[in-house]
Amino acid sequence: MTMLYDVNLHIGYLYDTPVSGGRHIVRVLPLSLGRRQRLVAGTIGVAPVPGERVDHSDFFENPMSAILFRSNHERLDIRMQARVHVDVPQTAADFSPRLEALPSEIAGHWSLDANSPHHYTGPSPRLKDCPEIADYARSTVNPDMTVREIATAICARIHKDFTYDAKATSVGTTPREAFKLKRGVCQDFTHVMIVALRSLGIPAGYVSGFLRTIPPPGKERLEGADAMHAWVRYWCGRVNGWMELDPTNNIPAGNDHIVVAYGRDYADVAPVIGVLKGYGEHQTSQAVDVVPVRQSA
Amino acid sequence: MKTTSAQAQPETGPAEKPARGYAPLPGVADEMVDTDGHVRPVWRHFLSALERMDETELSGRFARADRYLRDAGVFYRAYGKETITDRAWPLSHIPVLIDEAEWEQLSRGLIQRAELLEAVVADIYGKNDLVANGLLPPALVASNNEFLRPLVGVQPAGQHFLHFVSFEIGRGPDGNWWVLSDRTQAPSGAGFALENRVATTRAFSDVYAETHAHRLAGFFGAFRNALQAGKPAEDRIAVLTPGLANETYFEHAYIARYLGFMLLEGEDLTVVGGKVMVRTVAGLKPVGVLWRRLDAAFADPLELNQNSHIGTPGMVEALRAGSVTFVNALGAGIVETRAFLSFLPNICRHLLGEDQRLPSIATWWCGQEDERAHVAAHIERMIVGPAYSTRPFFDDNEQSVLGSSLRETAKQSITEWLETDGPSLVGQEAVTLSTTPAFVDGKLVPRPMSLRVFAARTRDGWQIMPGGFARIGAGDNVSAIAMQEGGSAADVWIVSQKPVERTSLLPAEEVFIRNMPGSLPSRAADNLFWLGRYIERAEGALRILRAWHGRYAEYADPSQPLLKDVTDYLDALDIDTSEAVPTSLIRNIDSAVFSASNIRDRFSPDGWLALNDLSKTARRFHVSVEPGDDATRAMTVLLRKLAGFAGLVHENMYRFTGWRFLSIGRYLERGLHMTRLLGHMSGEDAPDGALDMLLEIGDSVMTHRRRYNVATARLTVTDLLALDPLNPRSILYQLNEIKNEVEQLPNAYANGQMSPFYREAMRLHAGLAVMTPETMTDAVYKRFEAELEKLSDILAQTYLS
Repeated sequence: MTMLYDVNLHIGYLYDTPVSGGRHIVRVLPLSLGRRQRLVAGTIGVAPVPGERVDHSDFFENPMSAILFRSNHERLDIRMQARVHVDVPQTAADFSPRLEALPSEIAGHWSLDANSPHHYTGPSPRLKDCPEIADYARSTVNPDMTVREIATAICARIHKDFTYDAKATSVGTTPREAFKLKRGVCQDFTHVMIVALRSLGIPAGYVSGFLRTIPPPGKERLEGADAMHAWVRYWCGRVNGWMELDPTNNIPAGNDHIVVAYGRDYADVAPVIGVLKGYGEHQTSQAVDVVPVRQSA
Repeated sequence: MKTTSAQAQPETGPAEKPARGYAPLPGVADEMVDTDGHVRPVWRHFLSALERMDETELSGRFARADRYLRDAGVFYRAYGKETITDRAWPLSHIPVLIDEAEWEQLSRGLIQRAELLEAVVADIYGKNDLVANGLLPPALVASNNEFLRPLVGVQPAGQHFLHFVSFEIGRGPDGNWWVLSDRTQAPSGAGFALENRVATTRAFSDVYAETHAHRLAGFFGAFRNALQAGKPAEDRIAVLTPGLANETYFEHAYIARYLGFMLLEGEDLTVVGGKVMVRTVAGLKPVGVLWRRLDAAFADPLELNQNSHIGTPGMVEALRAGSVTFVNALGAGIVETRAFLSFLPNICRHLLGEDQRLPSIATWWCGQEDERAHVAAHIERMIVGPAYSTRPFFDDNEQSVLGSSLRETAKQSITEWLETDGPSLVGQEAVTLSTTPAFVDGKLVPRPMSLRVFAARTRDGWQIMPGGFARIGAGDNVSAIAMQEGGSAADVWIVSQKPVERTSLLPAEEVFIRNMPGSLPSRAADNLFWLGRYIERAEGALRILRAWHGRYAEYADPSQPLLKDVTDYLDALDIDTSEAVPTSLIRNIDSAVFSASNIRDRFSPDGWLALNDLSKTARRFHVSVEPGDDATRAMTVLLRKLAGFAGLVHENMYRFTGWRFLSIGRYLERGLHMTRLLGHMSGEDAPDGALDMLLEIGDSVMTHRRRYNVATARLTVTDLLALDPLNPRSILYQLNEIKNEVEQLPNAYANGQMSPFYREAMRLHAGLAVMTPETMTDAVYKRFEAELEKLSDILAQTYLS
């Protein structure tokens, strides 16, 4: 089954006092990933019009736009419109190794390209080791499980143990804090699961993207569809390579998931990173619309 | 008692046997004495000269060196558990002497190494052949904090990643040199090497003059020329410092001043159209070269460490645009990684097609099974430490452990540690170092040493500094790891058989180019302006307090109307008269010291010393001085010291833009002080004696007597202190001087029009010039006070942001 979506995103910033000299990096455009996902058309619009804008790809091959404002402004609006074709293939059979065999498969990967598992093994900017999560992960697995079975089990356990609660955490919450609360949003679920997998030696990373807003008839609406979404990718050996799981909804990433960026954690893929000069506070808003245009078998 | 004369060598013959009881340690190489117990030829002249000096003479010589370091303000910052202190520089006065021929061989090895490191960095951020060919484990790169992914694929502007590197080297028992660690991020110590040289030659000026020791200036000159040649003519070169809190900030300021580069912090810079610009009082000016002393990840909070407060957003963008050269490239620190040492021999053969001329200390990365087993089996001879550390094992806050120092049970746990954490550990051979003479308790004793040697990329390729920075161990433990327990630093003389070329870094014409008005960074201007204000604010407070205590000594009653009135006035300024030397005055002087320390590169050491002396004296008085006469005397001392500082600045600071900001700060604060004071004390209802006190505070008693020939009256005092254009304490005088200074500032006129700041200064001056003493009411003073404050704000908006 393939899907054709129209995606609309609006991110707004409202500043208490005018800000100047703002410089931002924006990562909101869906990726093209071969047959699985194709960006048919996409644009990013910024208001006010930036003094400079440079587009290129980052290390993990995500498109990014660097924008700079020279004059004072009191609000900033970033709008992204895209048409995306999604065709997630059938999940392959489980050829992933057991945990003890994984290190040698990783070590046998003599490359540092964007998808090399080596980037995803250790601590990353936002994710430090956390003994509590490591214990949690260890208590979920047994030696007979394959890497894929382990990831699936941890995903299910986090989904069962954690409550989706948009008020409990913020964008700066650490996985340790979220783990203590057993609450949070997609970012927290994703971060906790990445830390858990890495503690077992499984390379794991962060996927930012969109979820289909309105569910197909007869199905429940997925959590996290009203804003940008996040889920987990993990590396399960040479044969199966990278797989994706959504711990917020306890499902594999499928035709309802649209990928925007891959990274080690939120810091690598944050939709907007900014540095500006100003004194007051600011409010942000985010609106997402992911509408199926066509569906075909 | 020892009689030096009896043991002294004849004046004609050089010393062949070590004297003063110097005995090298058994089984350890010594820099001065060879294995047969003979003094090496390169040391003989120095040693015989040393033997002719008795202890009094020697201590006099050492004191000269120490005094130089103190006067030059050389210090290092020591980080305690809670406090940060500036410590005196620990100079070991005896230099290390090395023969030129040996040094040349060593230099060839180090040049090869610099080329190798350059090639490794280029590969890691470029083609990645080393990983693809199995010569460098990918995990060592991918899990490395110094691997900066946004820089992958970014070609440096001048095609080179490395421009200035250093090596820590040591000599083993067999007499051969080993590299202990490489510094490619932001090597420190070159400035300290220069200062060690100056200080050591203060102690041994005569011996130095007779010794053919290579000079250091040529090395720095060649590097400066290379940097200047590698950039567009109008671009600036700057030393980029993390700021005052950094442990080697002194050196950043020193290098910038020595080479004539700007000293900048991240917030001085902005990136426009892919070009790095410095904010100056004359607007944005292009920067072509940044000699960075901050760690790479902090350079850009947008694309690198998002928590950095000392970086410049957009810096990586500028690097992608190829518009700025970093010394060294961001990300180059990755080749400092300790575990890399174990892969360099093979990498050298692969990349350069030859063997390493100079070996590294033997290193095994425990992420590989065979290597891990080797380390475990030979733990007695190993130092085990963090694989990703970019610090040498003798300088890593004791994260490394010496296998032979462990008990049997601890050795067991090391083996387990290696099994569980192998990839994050390395084993290194526990080398012993050579010793060199140090003077301890009146005796020459052998102390272990390692050398930091510097290499710079010049227009003729890599050059090694003929000298360096010797670290001298604190005790006689020659195990290299013992170097982590403090110690001292010594100069290194590379001695030739023939006379050496003497170059000096005399200011060439380009010095004047760089100092032309307009290149003053806004932040430096801001610090100068506030330094002027704090100094003048302190002076104002001191003058009022001195007058107050003079009267208090007489009345002995703080509720006397005049004293009470002034107490209230001071209270509103947060100055508490119940303290003889008030805390707020100390804070004020501290603020001046802080502003000055932010711009150390612009100060003569004399000015800096004078300011610190003022601060120390004020602190001493704060705890020791009693109110009344004692306090009056104390204020007079402080005023004199303050005048001493102001005089040094006035006499010695070149009349460029920076000086104008300092002056404007002083005039503005003095104007404010007098405006406030007159508003408060010259009214009809002022207490008895207020007018006389005003004249005293305004240092105008004599002038008043000469000029008006009458007793003090409200109008004559107002005339003299507010409106007299010739009285250097009057308000009008300050406004006139401000106007004159502003005229000389960049952009005073823009497009044929006066700048807002200039217009405001003119307006304020004219507004006061037309006043008469009768019209100067409390309300008028209030208005001028507000206008002066506004003038300060406009100045900040125009030039300082």
